[in-house]
Amino acid sequence: MLSWIWGRRQNRQVTENVPLLQLQHVGRLRAGRQAVHGLDLTLDRGQVLGLLGVNGAGKSTTLGMLAGALRPSSGRILLDGRDFVEQPELARDLVGWLPERAPLWPELTVAEHLTAHARLHGLRGQALRTACTSMLECLQLGDLRRRLVHALSQGQRQRVGLACALLHKPPLLILDEPGNGLDPVQAADLRTLIRDHAADGGAVVLSTHLLPEVTAVCDRVAILHEGRLRHDAPLDDDLSKVFMSIATTHTVEAA
Amino acid sequence: MNMLALLRCEWRRLWVRPFAWWLAAVVIAGMAWELVLMLGPFLAQQSTLLASGANIGYTDLVLLPWLALFVIAVVLMTPLVTMSTLAGERRGGTLPLLFASGLSPAGIVLGKYLAALGWLLLVLLALVAMVLVLSLSGSPDWGKLGATLLGLVLLMAMLAAIGVACSAWAAHPALAAASALVVTLALMLVDRSSLQQGVIQDAAHWLALPTHLQPMGRGLVSSADIAWFVIVTALALALAIHRVGQEKDRD
Repeated sequence: MLSWIWGRRQNRQVTENVPLLQLQHVGRLRAGRQAVHGLDLTLDRGQVLGLLGVNGAGKSTTLGMLAGALRPSSGRILLDGRDFVEQPELARDLVGWLPERAPLWPELTVAEHLTAHARLHGLRGQALRTACTSMLECLQLGDLRRRLVHALSQGQRQRVGLACALLHKPPLLILDEPGNGLDPVQAADLRTLIRDHAADGGAVVLSTHLLPEVTAVCDRVAILHEGRLRHDAPLDDDLSKVFMSIATTHTVEAA
Repeated sequence: MNMLALLRCEWRRLWVRPFAWWLAAVVIAGMAWELVLMLGPFLAQQSTLLASGANIGYTDLVLLPWLALFVIAVVLMTPLVTMSTLAGERRGGTLPLLFASGLSPAGIVLGKYLAALGWLLLVLLALVAMVLVLSLSGSPDWGKLGATLLGLVLLMAMLAAIGVACSAWAAHPALAAASALVVTLALMLVDRSSLQQGVIQDAAHWLALPTHLQPMGRGLVSSADIAWFVIVTALALALAIHRVGQEKDRD
């Protein structure tokens, strides 16, 4: 049903034989302290990576760097084999990002928002119109298309933010707490969307506090604690135990 | 291309903002009212002026003083138009989204700058339309008018750049507007003390905005004055780009 979303654009020039995303010793300073330490991570096409961690673990900072919104203090991020820090313009075609709390321009309507984002990501003409129309339909935003964004509920804003992240069919999708404000039906639709994206050759990095969301859609789980990668492995049945063990052990160690 | 997309987006946001319309409407209505008020005395004295044979017409007595009044409107209006360009974006959390769409700091600053400048030029266009209507019943001095309009365009370009730069550095749009106004006033008054002492050739005089704007208001266009406006505009934009570039490294 949603297969149109994930069709790759012909001019994207994605290389098939290199990992879509590689992090090599990526670090980031925040408020004078190391928020992320020497992070090494690889993500291939078709994978959904769940990024877990307690509050302040460095998840949002990591996602900000993956989206091109923050510059790493050290290390390299390779996107489709190319240095993302050196070529931040790669984000336009290759990355779709939904930050936490979906920041939007309050004076625009939902439809204007989608159009603006589509243009920012290089869509023009018929491709732009098709992408916007389909995304409105896909995320059930059709009835809200003329409504100003500041008048939307949190769940509706979240769906608009998600639509903006998906419009240009990015191979790499970065989602920071995408389930915020969604009702159970919409949350289930979101899971389908994420799985479809991966099935069509895209990759997803999903940050969430909801372990059931991770177990439902992720192939792999990475757990960050105090800015360090403590766990990176295929999804385990005992995810909650692993998570609690890491959080508790390292918190006690730190104490 | 991405920068043009941002420019369009900014334009759209300005078009739907009641504040921008309200501001433009107040300025245009105020200027139209001033023009009517200034035309009255001129029409009353027209026959006397003709009889005296003075080589002075409504360009000198009405239009140029009227456009000089517009300078005050531009000084007050520009910080309000530009204050949210980057400070508002930062507060709304949408600046990272612009980076994530592959825009460079220069693309972000220029897209926002050109949108604000375009809005200011639209207001100027409304004033030019009034001048054109007046010209149907007389012959203004097009040379002097052209030079004055060039001065106004350069002034708008410079003040918009200063406004965007202040918006890039300020944490809050109101702070950005206040700081842009302070910088503009400083540029207008920087040579006041040396002028009072009778010194008119020092660095402060060169730095002062009136030194470069007033000759154009008299119909004199010099490349040195144009260069001054271009230098200040480029400097302000460079500062804004530098600040936005640092945004990726901020906490």
